[in-house]
Amino acid sequence: MVKTIDINQSHEFAESIINTVREPLIALDQDLRVVSVSRSFYQFFKVNPEETVGQLIYDLGNKQWDIPKLRELLETILPQQTAFDNYEVEHNFVTIGRRTMLLNARQIQRVSGKERIILLAIEDITERREIENGLEKTRIELEATKISEDAAREYAESIINTVREPLIALDQDLRVVSVSRSFYQFFKVNPEETVGQLIYDLGNKQWDIPKLRELLETILPHQTAFDNYEVDHNFVTIGRRTMLLNARQIQRVSGKERIILLAIEDITENKKLEREMVEAMDIAQAATLAKSEFLANMSHELRTPLNSINGFSEVLYDETFGPLNEKQKKYVNNVIISGRHLLLLINQILDMAKVESGKMNMALSSLPMKNLLHEISLLGADMVSKKNLQMSLEIDENLPNIEADELKIKEILYNLLSNAVKFSFEGGQIGMRAKKIDSEIEIVVWDTGIGIAPENMEKIFEGFFRVDTPYSQVTEGTGLGLPLSKKLVELHGGELSVVSEGLYRGTSVRVTLPITSKTEV
Amino acid sequence: MRKRVLVVDDNANNLLLEKDLLEVAGFEVFEAKNATDGIALARKEKPDIILMDVRLPDMRGTEAARILRQDKEARNIPIIFVTASVMAEGVEEIKNIPNSGFIGKPINTRTFVKEISQFIK
Repeated sequence: MVKTIDINQSHEFAESIINTVREPLIALDQDLRVVSVSRSFYQFFKVNPEETVGQLIYDLGNKQWDIPKLRELLETILPQQTAFDNYEVEHNFVTIGRRTMLLNARQIQRVSGKERIILLAIEDITERREIENGLEKTRIELEATKISEDAAREYAESIINTVREPLIALDQDLRVVSVSRSFYQFFKVNPEETVGQLIYDLGNKQWDIPKLRELLETILPHQTAFDNYEVDHNFVTIGRRTMLLNARQIQRVSGKERIILLAIEDITENKKLEREMVEAMDIAQAATLAKSEFLANMSHELRTPLNSINGFSEVLYDETFGPLNEKQKKYVNNVIISGRHLLLLINQILDMAKVESGKMNMALSSLPMKNLLHEISLLGADMVSKKNLQMSLEIDENLPNIEADELKIKEILYNLLSNAVKFSFEGGQIGMRAKKIDSEIEIVVWDTGIGIAPENMEKIFEGFFRVDTPYSQVTEGTGLGLPLSKKLVELHGGELSVVSEGLYRGTSVRVTLPITSKTEV
Repeated sequence: MRKRVLVVDDNANNLLLEKDLLEVAGFEVFEAKNATDGIALARKEKPDIILMDVRLPDMRGTEAARILRQDKEARNIPIIFVTASVMAEGVEEIKNIPNSGFIGKPINTRTFVKEISQFIK
């Protein structure tokens, strides 16, 4: 009879601890199936109770827990030892991304039977690795000194000692009943000066905090719990810290006494990180704003003189106010060509900046690609015939319309076509192919021209990279056409890749574009 | 009868370029180098059309346009913004002004007059 009460009581005690600590905690049976899980586990790993309890641990949340190192721990190490401390596992979790987790486990022989229960505490130390380093040694030493006698209490004690979050149990007079090993480590106090003491008197009265008094004496008698109460305090032993307090009040079955469980989490570093992140965001936002203002100003300031340069040159060239001789006409034409080149550069640089800052607006419509490709080939016909090139078009009869920004698609295709012309030998061959592949269309613009040397394959996307050859004049391009085209293709959710067998072996540029736009407008 | 046009631009070269193009095409051109003079000239001469820069020394061309839209005599004169502010913010700014148009700088000298003429009733 006495034993039953003990077990019930300890069970309740244990459950309360599980739900008080903020560190995710999981209890497994000997087949490694989940027996119970703390509420923080659900929050942290973004899973539901239904998809957790009864499951094999490796199957949890889309099998994201099927980690080789965890298997080794649970299947190889744990059967030989009854516990492991601070086993670091770095893993890419499906729901929360790449994290470094610190695993602590205890294996407990249940009093009533032969079954074993494995308690696994999971701490995310991705941001807190530094603090933990110094604590490692002391913890193991202290651990060795702890031997539990009472089998019923062992379960609870094990939990307290498994979690790395400092945990303290108080009686109704707010005197310390027991304390987790991590509490001693964290607050640099000894067991002798802790157990039996009034909480406020601990470690040179450093716990005599008005806010804690309010919590324990005013709030807790009315509610049976409080969650995530933040306390900022200057502790004698460890300095100014922000602590997150979680508490549960438990009525013991056997008597009228109450037990208060208090979990203390040091969130000083987290808060600091949070603050730094907000600051960084503010700075980044200000920088983005300053950048777009700068770009708008730059655009305006460059266009204003260019208006004069291009405008007056055109007026001269058109001989509006009198005839020019041949040389004058040629020279003023050079000014016009350079001025237009400069304008193209300005426009492309601004477009690159807009794409990069996510400010490029998309005007989507249904594009009849078959017509559009023919239209582009007609646009290029002039430059094609100037170089005596042969252009072949292989456009699939069933090429579907695509949802895209017309001007941008035209710009991309015209860019690629003029590159094909530009980098072709006199009398060479170029062409465009287009067909549907699954949910995309594929367009290939190819030439048999100068090709790209393998060592330049990466550079062609860097911007301002141009190959100097006898076949292309430096002034012809801006060196931004291809990088910008790639960005514009990607903006549509497609891909642009370049293939060349090598120098003088031709080039083909492959563009894929989704038929239905993935872009959010 | 010759069409009458008011050009407001603080950049002397650009003002001259627009004036030349328009005069060659047979327009009578009035010039102003800031918004205040521009508004006064618009009220006095009541041109058929106004070409307005946006970044002017005393106020923005759009502000001048709003003032003219309140004016009994000048409210119906079409205003074409000839501006180097061609980025989204610049275009957005002029969108809400009634009976207005937009030509980005650098202008195309070969089509400029034709573009302007389309706005004259």
